[in-house]
Amino acid sequence: MTTYEEFIQQNEDRDGVRLTWNVWPSSRIDASRLVVPLACLYQPIKERPDLPPIQYEPVLCTRSNCRAILNPLCQVDYRAKLWVCNFCFQRNPFPPQYAAISEQHQPAELIPGFSTIEYTIARAATMPPVFIFLVDTCMDEEELDALKDSLQMSLSLLPPNALVGLITFGKMIQVHELGADGCSKSYVFRGTKDLTAKQVHDMLGIGRGGVAPTPHQQQPGQPGQMPNAPGVGGAGQHLPPAHRFLQPISQCDTALGDLLSELQRDPWPVPQGKRYLRSTGAALSIAVGLLECTYPNTGGRIMTFVGGPCSQGPGQVVDDELKHPIRSHHDIHKDNAKYMKKAIKHYDALALRAATNGHGIDIYSCALDQTGLMEMKQLCNSTGGHMVMGDSFNSSLFKQTFQRVFARDSRNDLKMAFNATLEVKCSRELKISGGIGSCVSLNVKSPSVSDVEIGMGNTVQWKLCTFNPSSTVAFFFEVVNQHAAPIPQGGRGCIQFITQYQHPSGQRRIRVTTLARNWADANTNVQHISAGFDQEAAAVLMARMVVYRAETDEGPDILRWVDRQLIRLCQKFGEYSKDDPNSFRLSPTFSLFPQFMYHLRRSQFLQVFNNSPDETTFYRHMLMREDLTQSLIMIQPILYSYSFNGPPEPVLLDTASIQADRILLMDTFFQILIYHGETIAQWRALKYQDMPEYENFKQLLQAPVDDAQEILQTRFPMPRYIDTEHGGSQARFLLSKVNPSQTHNNMYAYGQDGGAPVLTDDVSLQLFMEHLKKLAVSSTT
Amino acid sequence: LMQNRHILSPATIAPPKVVLHNQFHESINCSGSIIRCTLAKIPESNSLLQKSRLPLGIVIHPFRDVNSLPVIQCVNIVRCRLCRTYINPFVYFVDSKMWKCNLCYRVNELPEDFQFDPATKTYGDVTRRPEVRSSTIEFIAPSEYMLRPPQPAMYLFLFDVSIIAQQSGYLETACSVLNRHLDEMPGDARTQVGFLCYDSFVHFYSMAEGLNQPHEMTLLDIDDPFLPRPDSLLVNLKECKELVRDLLKQLPKRFAHTHDPGSALGAALQVAFKLMQASGGRITVFQSCLPNKGPGALEAREDPNNRSAKDVAHLNPATDFYKRFALECSGYQIAVDLFLMNQQYSDMATISGVSKHSGGCVHHFPLFQKTKQHMVDSFKQCFKRYLTRKIGFEAVMRLRCTRGLQVHTFHGNFFVRSTDLLSLPNVNPDAGYGMQISYEESLTDVKTICFQAALLYTNSEGERRIRVHTICLPVTASLPEVMHSADSEAIIGLLSKMAVDRSTASNLSDARDAFINATIDVFNAFKIAQNLPSGQSGQLIAPRSLALLPLYILALLKHPAFRVGTSTRLDDRVFAMDSMKTLPLDQLMKYIYPELYKIDALVYHVRNSNISLTQDEDYDDDELLPEMQRLQLSAEHLDSRSIFLMDCGTLIMLYVGLNVPTDVLEALLGIRSTAELPDYVYGLPNVVSAESDALKRFMLRLNYDKPYPPLVQIIRQA
Ligand SMILES: [Zn+2]
Ligand SMILES: [Zn+2]
Repeated sequence: MTTYEEFIQQNEDRDGVRLTWNVWPSSRIDASRLVVPLACLYQPIKERPDLPPIQYEPVLCTRSNCRAILNPLCQVDYRAKLWVCNFCFQRNPFPPQYAAISEQHQPAELIPGFSTIEYTIARAATMPPVFIFLVDTCMDEEELDALKDSLQMSLSLLPPNALVGLITFGKMIQVHELGADGCSKSYVFRGTKDLTAKQVHDMLGIGRGGVAPTPHQQQPGQPGQMPNAPGVGGAGQHLPPAHRFLQPISQCDTALGDLLSELQRDPWPVPQGKRYLRSTGAALSIAVGLLECTYPNTGGRIMTFVGGPCSQGPGQVVDDELKHPIRSHHDIHKDNAKYMKKAIKHYDALALRAATNGHGIDIYSCALDQTGLMEMKQLCNSTGGHMVMGDSFNSSLFKQTFQRVFARDSRNDLKMAFNATLEVKCSRELKISGGIGSCVSLNVKSPSVSDVEIGMGNTVQWKLCTFNPSSTVAFFFEVVNQHAAPIPQGGRGCIQFITQYQHPSGQRRIRVTTLARNWADANTNVQHISAGFDQEAAAVLMARMVVYRAETDEGPDILRWVDRQLIRLCQKFGEYSKDDPNSFRLSPTFSLFPQFMYHLRRSQFLQVFNNSPDETTFYRHMLMREDLTQSLIMIQPILYSYSFNGPPEPVLLDTASIQADRILLMDTFFQILIYHGETIAQWRALKYQDMPEYENFKQLLQAPVDDAQEILQTRFPMPRYIDTEHGGSQARFLLSKVNPSQTHNNMYAYGQDGGAPVLTDDVSLQLFMEHLKKLAVSSTT
Repeated sequence: LMQNRHILSPATIAPPKVVLHNQFHESINCSGSIIRCTLAKIPESNSLLQKSRLPLGIVIHPFRDVNSLPVIQCVNIVRCRLCRTYINPFVYFVDSKMWKCNLCYRVNELPEDFQFDPATKTYGDVTRRPEVRSSTIEFIAPSEYMLRPPQPAMYLFLFDVSIIAQQSGYLETACSVLNRHLDEMPGDARTQVGFLCYDSFVHFYSMAEGLNQPHEMTLLDIDDPFLPRPDSLLVNLKECKELVRDLLKQLPKRFAHTHDPGSALGAALQVAFKLMQASGGRITVFQSCLPNKGPGALEAREDPNNRSAKDVAHLNPATDFYKRFALECSGYQIAVDLFLMNQQYSDMATISGVSKHSGGCVHHFPLFQKTKQHMVDSFKQCFKRYLTRKIGFEAVMRLRCTRGLQVHTFHGNFFVRSTDLLSLPNVNPDAGYGMQISYEESLTDVKTICFQAALLYTNSEGERRIRVHTICLPVTASLPEVMHSADSEAIIGLLSKMAVDRSTASNLSDARDAFINATIDVFNAFKIAQNLPSGQSGQLIAPRSLALLPLYILALLKHPAFRVGTSTRLDDRVFAMDSMKTLPLDQLMKYIYPELYKIDALVYHVRNSNISLTQDEDYDDDELLPEMQRLQLSAEHLDSRSIFLMDCGTLIMLYVGLNVPTDVLEALLGIRSTAELPDYVYGLPNVVSAESDALKRFMLRLNYDKPYPPLVQIIRQA
């Protein structure tokens, strides 16, 4: 038998699923005593190049309130040509085209290896994705030129049939017409005015009663002579009404290229002591409105590039007085963020509109100061759009990251999916508590909906407007089976994920993942249950729950809740004698979990005051969308140590790992940091690496750099790369992450043993554990 | 008078001579083409004036193109310290150091440098000074005449591009004329131009540095119009000429397929104002329909079935939007000129307010169609003249008169800033003005009075200038003298303006009645003045000076401005009224009472004098042309064997009789029979003959003083 570790890995590879518990407690009461809820992380379109192309439609359970999809877990009666739904036990006849099936001749969806399978719906119209570039022009020449270069480059990375459009904004907002002959054209809007979708619709003349005529409105005497006239007449004949603004890149790449190359800085003067008047909020509103009235319920993304905060009109986060800084966590805490609530309301409403129509919104924010990501966060969080935060559009961080947005898979399709509905079905012993991820609830009620809400609940369907293979959604389940109604021996609980989405090729596809786990009676077989605990999944899922709560109510309550959960878990699964902390032991399946929680507590996700609100927003955004591996790195960074004594080795994220003769490579997901120990730094300063006799030192220096490059080349968004050394100012990034096992508070007590002390009042992991043990074994709690 | 059916003098009517009993003054008095007074002798008192029943006033054409205008630059512009009158030929030099103002009679000192004659480098003889030798003179103003640095020439063009505009096709012509004459527009290296188009929305054209092509920016929110960018909408003509030309080529194409029935004139004006606010300048509007969108939107008011009714409604503006806008423009030295190229009722009465109160001008091309070549030609001529004629920016005009007289009403397009000061954001050489004069006190002690008009403006090269015209008129105590010195053309000029005011303030019937009453009153007054018995029937006695008054009044009553009973489109009528207020007198007279000639004389003259075609160039026009007899506009003069020419100012009509001899037809029109003439012929056929050449020369002479050559139409006898 394989180990649970192998089992978990196989399941993740095949289905993109990680569950907190791989053996499920068979009753509600037992489940609630497990502390960590039954939950999973699911990657709806995890890359599976090996999946067979299936060109037919899935077979559905005929029970009207079930409609689960035929899967390898269903019992099949080949003679009677019947299959039994594993969710509702309905006996379903196979459709006529399955007449030839037999045990030897099974359709792919019945083969056990295809618990995840993907259907391509041929009858659905294919629709190329729509991309709107929403470009801030309030930045200096160098920045704008760099951004323009990136945008030009991206044109060549888009599929030729993708529809593209350009909206620029500064004090005013301009919606650009594409391919207007001889004279470029744009429609100008005031940045201080919010427009409804209908207003955008009417004004741009998309549809009835606007500028653009339809062929029927032609005057008698000039029959049909409107061959794609430039300017106002552009909407003739078979072209969609929005053709003037959104065109296939293959048709408009020259025009768009010209537009981009002629793009100029916002021309309005900015007096001394003032900020640019930047209309991000109104611009987004127009972009959302444009897409909403032209391609509703079609895959599309608004790629927003901002070089500073919105300083006027709807969505304003700061005024244009430079002497008034943008809000800090402190201001927010003191309820002193004048524009915040109104701005959030504006962007939240836009996010909801975009999400409802299946449109994603990316924000690429590059500025030295904050740009209002905190207020705008739902635009990305709700729609699955990217949130990228950098200092400059001229940085490789932005350039590389942006290029990676257009990454292609082995079939040369963009690694992007659009406008998806993700439905979760489960056995009747389970109910669905909710989901957490870059999605919105579709509010689809079902008997499977649990009363206990975690994250976005009260639904069995969620909308993912745009997502990619690493996008991961967390789902939470409640075991509702009553203790008195035992599940028959060998019974299994099932969950099915059905993701209908628009593939970047334009095809409509359905990805189905069906999984099953054994039930176990927690009273008699708790060891089975605990053996199936996936502490990594549990850590990430706990983190998502905590951060989701933190987004709604800030403060120490969150930390207290984390602590309480951890203590309860230790009480339940630890081995100890009552009131004897020293007796406390955790099995290997649980042993890392407290450490994850320790790092989560002190992570940037929950400790906000050293970061700006925008940074916090960005970090949290990434945690809410990435897969398990990446999320774990975010929670507990990885530290590698390089020395002459052998190959690099992972070391504890602890001050003790900071040694004078070592080079450290720390990956926090957001940062890749190389730290040269004191001695190494001295040698490097003396340029030993340039001397032939110290070739091995040169190699030692190079090794972490190469490893860092490998991460930098692949990760999205590209991490910040930091090269520092003992005493370097940027070493603080390392010191803030490591466990302060030696601080100025305790170093004398422990004596010096070569590690570097950390100046912090944070409690160390050791103290944390001691405290945890004490509480866990206490008979009073 | 009634018996005399040929009262027109054979040549053009000369205004009554101003006799000043001072040879010097008479020879240098202000030209009648610039200032004309209704009375060549001023009654010494108001009561005398009242007895004459004649109106007292002047008509003035202050910025008329003149040859040999003396322009002087001097440190001190010599002006009366009390009333600020400019020194002029009619002042009295007390001695070599002092001069007495001829308007307020203050004695002023002469600055020393005034006595210096740079030609002879001597002091003493002030009479050589151009200020003293010319009653029309222009000063280059020093800096104290500037409230701000003189503005550069700024031209902004607004084009209606609604479907009606597109159907008329005017934009093609306008753009091509503009493109052709871009370099001839007055201005220096600082000249800036800009273009806006509007239909239901407003379209801006940015010609920013670094652009390869103009960029059109459309403003959709016309209820709250704003500028899309702070720069590059008005651009330096010299630096951006290629982009401008490119744009002018593209504009007609861009809107060639429009179906937008909207015309957001008000919004376009509002943004135009924002564009021009900082500098001042000229806004030229091409409107082709009723503005129906956004601010200043109007509704059709005219009842087409009522165009021949006895009284005419809606001569007044429907809203004060355009007037208020014009006044705001005036405050920022912006004038708005209007070209109405309408296809249907467009409420000229309301929208012309934008020009009336901002010192602009109005041109009207009703039913313009690009397919009708004569309309295109006529518009081309007019627009070319408009673009290339002189222009004065940020101007004011003040009219001063000798103590005892004062201006009480002004006529023309301007804003009256104070009692004698007119604000003219732009002044153009084709604009005339009228002023009614009243008495403050009697003039019993003076022999002469003067009017002095001073026009302070910035020329297109950014130079501040003052053009001063001074006219001197004798005063008389004799009623018959007053009446004999009446200038009937000037009187008609003034009466027509007063009638327009009467029509709008009261109604058209009142204005018509007033014309008739004024005529009757004048002739009664003359009877009384001559001590003639009243009630004599069948005889109407008039002085020669007033003999034509009834004829002209009759013409006015039949003019589209004032006629009733004949179908007259409201916009046409309003435009005619506007022309009454703004045409300079010489053009106004042709507009009211066209000149009719029989051109037989021309043909015979050519045939009798053996002039070979090759010699033509060397001869002066007049030597080649006979004296042409002007005919009264009466059907009795027409006959079927002759060709007649009628000069209406902007239109010359050739009327070809049915029985004109073939040789004449061939020589002039290149046809053998009148029947060969189609219904509508425009332009003189290109026939090489001495006769045709003479006709062309004759027309040239007729057109000599006109701003632009008129359209020629040939019609055949029915
Ligand atoms: Zn079922
Ligand atoms: Zn004076």
